[in-house]
Amino acid sequence: MSDTLKLMVPGKPEYVGTVRLAVSSLANKVGFDIEAIEDIKVAVSEACSNIVCHSDMDSDRPYRVVCEMCDDRIEIVVEDEGIGFDTDRYEEPAPGQMQERGLGVFIIRALMDEVNVLSEVGSGTRIKMVKYIASG
Amino acid sequence: MSFAINGGFHEADHLWQFGLSGEIDISNASQLKTRLESAYSETPADIVLDLGNLNYIDSTGLGVIIGVYGGIKENGHRIILREPKENVKKLLRITSLDKVLCGE
Repeated sequence: MSDTLKLMVPGKPEYVGTVRLAVSSLANKVGFDIEAIEDIKVAVSEACSNIVCHSDMDSDRPYRVVCEMCDDRIEIVVEDEGIGFDTDRYEEPAPGQMQERGLGVFIIRALMDEVNVLSEVGSGTRIKMVKYIASG
Repeated sequence: MSFAINGGFHEADHLWQFGLSGEIDISNASQLKTRLESAYSETPADIVLDLGNLNYIDSTGLGVIIGVYGGIKENGHRIILREPKENVKKLLRITSLDKVLCGE
C-alpha cells in the first residue's frame, strides 16, 4: 500500500528549498532516520536544481515532483518537459578531480539506492530516485 | 532560503576569514560567488570558510567553492573549510573535496 503526493513547482530557483522541505517531511513520515532524510533532501534538491538549470532560461515552466511513499521505501520522480540535455555528454567527475558542474547527478547516485536519469534534447528530463528504509 | 556570509580580512594572518550560516542552494549560491570573488580581487590571499553554522549546501554551492578555488590556486592560494557539520562533511567526502579543502 502506498500514498502518492504530486507537486507542480514553478521552474524558479527559489522554490527548490520549498520542495526540499516538503520531501523531508514526507521522508520523516515514512520513517527514515535523520541521516537518510538528509540524503533524500540533498538528492531531491539536486534533481530540482538540475531541472531548473537545464530548463529554458526565458521561461519559468513548471516541473513535477511525484513522491510515492511505500512501507519500505520512498520513490521520487522529478520531471519536466523542458529543453533537456544530452546524457551521452554527461561526464561523471573522476575520483579526486574537482569540477564545478556535473556534481549533481554524481551526488544523487551516491545518496540514493536506485537512480534513473532520462533526458533528451527537446523532450525534457526525468530523474527517478528510490531510497529503501533498511538500506542504512 | 536564508543564507549569510560574515567576516573579513585578517591583517595579522593575512587571510580572508568568513563564517557561512543558513542554507546554500541554487537560489543563493551566486551571492557566495560574488562575495568570495570580490574579496579575493580586493586582496589576493588564502580564504578560510567556517562552516560551523552552515546547515545545508548542495552541488551549486560546492561548485562555487570549486570555481573560486580553481581561480586562486594558480596564485598559490587556498580555500580552507573548517568545522563542517556531519551532513556537509558527508557531501565533502562523497565529492572528495575534503581531501583538498579540509586539510591545514
